[in-house]
Amino acid sequence: MPGGAANLVGRLRRQQLVVVTGKGGTGKSTVAAALGRLLAARGRRVLLLELDPRENLHHLLAVPPSGGEIVAASPRLRLENVQPLRVVEALVRERLKVQVLVRRVLASPIFQHFVEGGPGFKELAILVHALGQVRREGEGGSDVVVLDAPATGHGVSLLLAPVLVAEAIPHGPVGRLAHEVAALVSDPARCGVVIVTSAEEMPVQESLELIAQLDAALGRTPETVVVNGLYPPAPAGTAAGPGGTPALHLWRERRATYERELARLARAWVGPRVELPLLALDRGPEIVAALERLLGEAA
Amino acid sequence: MSLGALDRPLVVVVGGGGVGKTTFAAALGLASAREGTDTLVMTFDPSERLKDALGVGAAARGTEVRVACDTPGRLDASLLDPRATFDRLIRRYAPDEASCRRILENRFYRHLGGSLAGILEYMAVERLFEVDAERRYGRVILDTPPTRQALDFLEAPDRMLAFLESGALKVALRRWFDDRGRLRATAHLAGIGRGVEALLDHVVGLDLLRDMAEFFQIWAPLYDGFKGRARTVQALLRAKGTVFVLVTGPGEERIADALFFARRLGEAGMRLGPIVVNRVHPAPDPAAVEGGRADPGAAGLQLFAWLAARDARGLARLRGLLSTGDLLVALPLLARAPTSLEALEAMGSLLLGELAAAGPARPPRRLPRRGKTA
Repeated sequence: MPGGAANLVGRLRRQQLVVVTGKGGTGKSTVAAALGRLLAARGRRVLLLELDPRENLHHLLAVPPSGGEIVAASPRLRLENVQPLRVVEALVRERLKVQVLVRRVLASPIFQHFVEGGPGFKELAILVHALGQVRREGEGGSDVVVLDAPATGHGVSLLLAPVLVAEAIPHGPVGRLAHEVAALVSDPARCGVVIVTSAEEMPVQESLELIAQLDAALGRTPETVVVNGLYPPAPAGTAAGPGGTPALHLWRERRATYERELARLARAWVGPRVELPLLALDRGPEIVAALERLLGEAA
Repeated sequence: MSLGALDRPLVVVVGGGGVGKTTFAAALGLASAREGTDTLVMTFDPSERLKDALGVGAAARGTEVRVACDTPGRLDASLLDPRATFDRLIRRYAPDEASCRRILENRFYRHLGGSLAGILEYMAVERLFEVDAERRYGRVILDTPPTRQALDFLEAPDRMLAFLESGALKVALRRWFDDRGRLRATAHLAGIGRGVEALLDHVVGLDLLRDMAEFFQIWAPLYDGFKGRARTVQALLRAKGTVFVLVTGPGEERIADALFFARRLGEAGMRLGPIVVNRVHPAPDPAAVEGGRADPGAAGLQLFAWLAARDARGLARLRGLLSTGDLLVALPLLARAPTSLEALEAMGSLLLGELAAAGPARPPRRLPRRGKTA
């Protein structure tokens, strides 16, 4: 394909939604922020959606917390912390139109229980909200929504929710919405999935399980697997210089674990993979800028 | 060596994802059995290597399996399987074979019902109730899912009770459909009724409502039992004999997590014992970092020096933010994740040594109960 579709940025060039997921503690949010900055730098209008109610993405972009509002980090990059209940309420208002009904529905304990613990409604509402942002014309609209999704287990339920809801509710407005969003997340041309992992046993395991679930339920593959926080290769030659220190021993053993897990990942997943090094930088805008540069060069 | 602050009949291990919580629980279990107490480690999702180390495989799913270790106390391990527990409860309590099969095959139960009001998290708690009621162990060590889900998990009995006592259930329990599968509430309204039916069908679909109504109806005879057990577990989690260990990492982003968790435990009236900061990078020998400047590995060693300094900074910050009564224990990042019984024992002794050094065993802190906001 012309226009450099061979690399990561090229492949994400036309996506409307990029879902960044992975096991907790692997640097998922940092990668999401870096990806958001990168796509904005390449000319797309980006909305970063954060789902964690304890906001922290704004630290990474050096902007004030969103508090549920949209804040601009740069001319083409904006951030919003999404509160699922508010999104569901807005959706009910929009769809029901009759004020009395709206009030009764929102006040009903059944509604509260079903949205809170219920069958994928909350997840569906978040995706509908994302889709709405991309569809919006003019000033307030975005070309792409980068979603900092919950950690793997919940991340996959976010991606599978539309399919489940569409199955349970085949007809009607809710069913139609579910079908529409299910089609979006199943379509690699419009929606990208980025899995973030570290080269350790459990995160690699979860990533492979997620890849299998995406294939089984949505018939699709992720856009890329980002392996984050790699120790640099340890120097060869044990005897000379500082070779005998415990730190060097630790370094060699850790690196060996990483190489073993990278190999395991590569055996099971032959698609695109990005390896990001462990950087001597605190969590903040600086590390995001460094990762943005590395992701920009990624295949 | 004594388990000090962790010498309690029920130890609940909580913390974020990727901090080595499950490994910690296994090491603690081994230390407990070594000290002479019959111990059970209940865990959710251990790595393959850890399962191998403990010698427990799929056989331990939903039941206890003996760990082959030569300790004065017995060590058992089990893998919590919420769905299997739920299925078993239904099989045990369903009035007859037919209604049992109807629940198990109900579409709502199979696909969606699981997440309703945290039922699956609650099922793990049910298992805890069963084990506690049997009183076969001197100590139970309960590993929990990562942070957010762990909160769901700990709050599951409360949420379950709230759900069972709420009006939602009464509405759900009403007979919504007549024998022909038509909505009862609308039947007598003739034309208008069919309009309402069509509207409901239009919005959520009658099939879904029918499945849900059936699920709640078949499940109804089990509610009272559930309520009683949920109350027992609610009390158990807050009992004097229960202590929570918070496992966390030294990184900046983990500090907020740890404080959040400590606060939520306190608000829920649960007792916080030691806070374990796991996987702290040890400081490399400064001479090696300096002296090795010409060495090809110098950049890497400087990275390690930076990581050690970052971890020390995080540890100091966390210590500063905790109250003086809190017990803070740091465990080093190990060259290899402990994946053998020997390595787990070594980690356990390291932990007990650090616990003893960190302070005398004192009753775990019980935070004042605050409002539900926060």
